[in-house]
Amino acid sequence: MAVVETEGLTKAYDTTIAVDDLTLQVEEGEVLGLLGPNGAGKTTTIRMLAGIIAPSAGRAWVAGLDPCRDPERLHEMIGVLPESPGFYGRLSAWRNLEYFAGFYTGLDVAGQVEKYLKAVRLWDQRDEKVGTFSKGMKQRLAIARALLHEPKVLFLDEPTAGLDPAAAREVRATIERLGREGRTILLSTHNLAEAELLCRRVAILQTRLLALDTSENLRQQVFRPETVVEMQHVGDLVLKAVRSLPYVENLQQEEDRLIVQLRSPETAQADLVDCIVKAGGKVRAVSQRIHSLEEVYFSLIAEEEGDNR
Amino acid sequence: MLSDLNSVLFVTLLPLIIVAQAVVVIWLVAHFGSDSIPANQVFQTALEKLAEAVPASATLSDAERLQLLLLSQFNFYLLLIPAMIAIGFATFSIVDEKLSRSLEPLLATPVRTWELLLGKALSGAIPALLVTWVCAGCFLLCTVLLGWGHLLSLMITPSWFLTMFLLTPTVALLSFILGIIGSSRASDSKSAQNLAVLIVIPVLVIIGVQLTGRIWFTTLPTLLLALGVGLVDVLGLLVATRLFQRESIVVKWR
Repeated sequence: MAVVETEGLTKAYDTTIAVDDLTLQVEEGEVLGLLGPNGAGKTTTIRMLAGIIAPSAGRAWVAGLDPCRDPERLHEMIGVLPESPGFYGRLSAWRNLEYFAGFYTGLDVAGQVEKYLKAVRLWDQRDEKVGTFSKGMKQRLAIARALLHEPKVLFLDEPTAGLDPAAAREVRATIERLGREGRTILLSTHNLAEAELLCRRVAILQTRLLALDTSENLRQQVFRPETVVEMQHVGDLVLKAVRSLPYVENLQQEEDRLIVQLRSPETAQADLVDCIVKAGGKVRAVSQRIHSLEEVYFSLIAEEEGDNR
Repeated sequence: MLSDLNSVLFVTLLPLIIVAQAVVVIWLVAHFGSDSIPANQVFQTALEKLAEAVPASATLSDAERLQLLLLSQFNFYLLLIPAMIAIGFATFSIVDEKLSRSLEPLLATPVRTWELLLGKALSGAIPALLVTWVCAGCFLLCTVLLGWGHLLSLMITPSWFLTMFLLTPTVALLSFILGIIGSSRASDSKSAQNLAVLIVIPVLVIIGVQLTGRIWFTTLPTLLLALGVGLVDVLGLLVATRLFQRESIVVKWR
């Protein structure tokens, strides 16, 4: 069941289109990564879904509610981690969370604040002013704030941006745990490895949606499977023999490696090796080349920029 | 820390200065102006209105009647306190949220815009009101200590109570609502203060109108004035909600 759904969602500021005709669905309990360069519309998408700004066109439903028509009810059900944590620096961590928790109905404010301060390991710093916190601590506190009212759906806008590796790792671990708890999460990030690690599917956005699928499927859609044959030496006889195979679609040589695109790698790979050996080649290893999500991302973005030129 | 200290000084010293100033002016007028001022045409009109509103004042000496006239203005003069405090604090309310980026997480909570703005207005108006009432108490104490206690029974009329407990709260709320409107529309607190300072003008007009005897705020006019300001409070909140452009604030403030 889709918990987040958009249909032709569009946002324009004067003459600039920030998000163009976005249609996507996020299933219940899914962690969906929203990837894209700066200005791709990730933050705008999250703000529209969270009912903070109104779309110029199209519609959205989050937990069955229209963010434009029913923002207060929606806000009871969603948690938002904005781009900037946004705390009152002169108040303590406890007072900040207590203040925000006060806006939700029927909440055990003290109990929830304690629970989540402990969950993000800031319990010992609860009486310290947030102004003295490091960026990582503020980010963890912002995650705690987003969770105070036990939302079903979480919108996390670049939760690890600007954090040092240790702090980023800690935040990622928290998000991973939230995903395991079955919460539906829309995670906007620049960090492709992070998206690959945390998200079941990724949406690549460049104002409009370029792709939406699992990392694995995106790799297959963007790059044809490639077989890498590592040899002791690549001779002319071997090259000639491989080129003559009917199921070889493309062949490249990179020093002592052959990179071969096969029509059906599952069945043809054994024949390929047999052919190389018969041509006198000595095979050291055979593997499938796995493209990173980063390669997929750059390929799609480059393609989009090429189209726009 | 310095900012906290400034805030404490602002809400304690400023009201005390207003009270002290009023006491000194009344003392000076009673001691040095009781011969010349009642002869002034403007004050004559006001003293006639005072005599109509408080018939018992006819038995007082000229100096005492002048004192009573000035003492009776003080409850209106006190309205400057919430107005000034609002200029000092309310104007920062939304600007500060913009600068600390705390507005976006706030807008992601179930709070409605009018609730947010009313909450901000009340959180400032209530302390300002308490400060005003403390100042009123200090003023009454000074009145007794300076030997003018016999005038209190003539000064504390139903209109005085209405001003203190109905008009002052509504003016305090209005001051903060205007401050918040300024704050939500302005890019910095200085510009917000320029807008909020408008609240001082009607307060000065009320003082001027009564002091010159044009209108004497007896029970009914005071009640109507307070109800009118209450209505303006509601309208002000609606306007504030309408003018609060969350999208522009969230998107443009980076």
